[in-house]
Amino acid sequence: MKILLIEDDGENADYVANGLREEGHLVAQVASGADGLICAMENGFDLLIVDRMIPGLDGLSLVRSLRAAGRHTPVLFLTALGGVEDRVSGLNAGGDDYLVKPFAFSELAARVSALGRRPRTTAADTKLHVLDLELDLLSRRVRRRGELIELQPREFRLLEYLMRHAGQVVTRTMLLEHVWDIHFDPRTNIVETHISRLRTKVDKGFEAELIHTVRGAGYCVRGPA
Amino acid sequence: MSVALPRILRTSSFRLTLIYAGLFAASALMLLEVVYWATGVYISSSLDAAVDSDITELEDSLRGGGAEALTAQVKERVRQMPHGPVYYLLQDPDGTIIAGNLPPFHGGEGRVDLKVPRSDGPSVPVHAHGINLTERQYLMVGVDALPRREMQKLILRVFESSSVVTLVLALAGGALMSGGLLRRIETISRTARDIMAGDFSRRIPVRGTGDEFDHLVASLNAMLERNEAAMESVRQVSNGIAHDLRTPLTRLRQRLERAHRRARSVEEWRRAAEGCISDTDAILETFGALLRIAQIASGMPVHRFVEVDLSELLRTVIEVFQPMAEEKEQRFTADVASRLTVWGDRELLAQMFANLIENAMKHSPAGASIGLMAIRSPSAIAVTVVDSGPGIPVADRKRVFQRFYRLESSRSTPGSGLGLSLVEAIAALHQVSIELTDSGPGLRVVLRFLAPDQRTLAGDRPLESNSVADRSF
Repeated sequence: MKILLIEDDGENADYVANGLREEGHLVAQVASGADGLICAMENGFDLLIVDRMIPGLDGLSLVRSLRAAGRHTPVLFLTALGGVEDRVSGLNAGGDDYLVKPFAFSELAARVSALGRRPRTTAADTKLHVLDLELDLLSRRVRRRGELIELQPREFRLLEYLMRHAGQVVTRTMLLEHVWDIHFDPRTNIVETHISRLRTKVDKGFEAELIHTVRGAGYCVRGPA
Repeated sequence: MSVALPRILRTSSFRLTLIYAGLFAASALMLLEVVYWATGVYISSSLDAAVDSDITELEDSLRGGGAEALTAQVKERVRQMPHGPVYYLLQDPDGTIIAGNLPPFHGGEGRVDLKVPRSDGPSVPVHAHGINLTERQYLMVGVDALPRREMQKLILRVFESSSVVTLVLALAGGALMSGGLLRRIETISRTARDIMAGDFSRRIPVRGTGDEFDHLVASLNAMLERNEAAMESVRQVSNGIAHDLRTPLTRLRQRLERAHRRARSVEEWRRAAEGCISDTDAILETFGALLRIAQIASGMPVHRFVEVDLSELLRTVIEVFQPMAEEKEQRFTADVASRLTVWGDRELLAQMFANLIENAMKHSPAGASIGLMAIRSPSAIAVTVVDSGPGIPVADRKRVFQRFYRLESSRSTPGSGLGLSLVEAIAALHQVSIELTDSGPGLRVVLRFLAPDQRTLAGDRPLESNSVADRSF
């Protein structure tokens, strides 16, 4: 993926850029808002990672200008500002995701890949497939190898999110945000509990495990490699 | 007094008094000018009237008896009062005096002020009027103008004596006023000095007269009250940082040191690093919570408030905490009325309830029961969190909302001591009242959201700001 990183803190920028390069991405680095905007307008990037507080043009204005110019490149805000208000204003300005510093690198990596392979338009598909697992968005039914699996509403939303990001690592925080709409860490093992229940229903009795735990990072739904 | 006097002279109130006295003198001077001038005009006009009536009489005798009768009349009058106070002159066109006791005059018709020399003393001021009676005769009648001068002299004297009295009164009043103000200001600055010296509980006494000074003092006292509260909270936070952050930082340092000295294998290093990361996360979390509280307490934008489905929100929070109850072997029951809605920020409200439930679970032993109830009454929506844990002693109930405050009994349980502070900040932002009571044994926390019709102020805000928000997008 071609990523533009707009961040003025050199040390943090190198840390992020090198980490993403190790993950196999192409990363360009820019340290000011004005340069970032020019760069983002002229080159075709798959993703912009934008710090909120950068010299010149601040991150919010940069993304607003970009959106006003009709560019829909996904934007991930990176910021030390972690208040509710800050996140909402970031998303309102046209950001697609928001990560508060300090963060675990695995969290950033997961969000980057989730944004990168996000379908550009809402999928016309009404069914999601992973191997022999099928999730019907309209009838809200889940089948594995044709066999109906009974899921609670929350379990359905969890599986839907995992399957929309099939093959990608999804972190615990991402699940809390998108499945529960909880934006702080409640320090309970709610995610683990649900994953384990889902696993019992989806994977138990089948030869191929579809729901995987990625140690120190999160979860991933994929067929056997 | 010898020390206080120069100080009085230096006060602004005394300077003001001086300015007032100066202004007063200037205006009195102007008044004198007017009175002086007006008196002159009035006396002159009454002299004119006397002169004119005499002239009319003489004209009548001219018309009745001719020039001889007039001359006789004038002569008779001069004989009766040779030294005034009325003076006459009847002369030919060439200036020859026919009769009279005024010196010859060549100024023609009109009113004029003359000086008439007298053999027995200084010359006399005379106010006169001259007219041409016929082509042959010129008549002038004048009156002694001395009363006018006397009158004006009298006015000047009266003013002189009264102005001295006025000035003395103005200055004395100023000194008194200055002294009074000075004493009150002195009280204020003495209080300020005491506060600077460290006695933050000092307040300026109010006189109770309800004057501007009392208003000022009340405002200052209110400001001191707020400042003291703010200082107290800063003090608590810095104490909290000193005590509560030092512990995890020390632990982190020890862990690093131990790894540095002892770790041999990659696996040992990895374990040490993981431990350090989780220690750091805990510290960062405390900082994050502090920042959040500060941000919320400093007035998070209420205009972002939307209608929140409280029933759905509570069900999510209950679901999230169910696993924790199971883990701690506690009974967690919930009874939430459906379709409860409140105005607010969903995320902050979720955090508030999460903190309360987490608190209840954390401080209650295994086997305890935790309950959450949400009901609607005519006046409010009430959410109650009850536990059967050790509860909070009455004396501590106010203090548990202080940052970093932790009950002695819970020092050993993990936690930042910020949970309830955050709850209080969020509740205040949402105009939610918090009540802590005994649930014998255990703690009962009741949060009351005002019903929409009673929440006039807050209810208006979202509408008003929605339109603002619409415009900005």
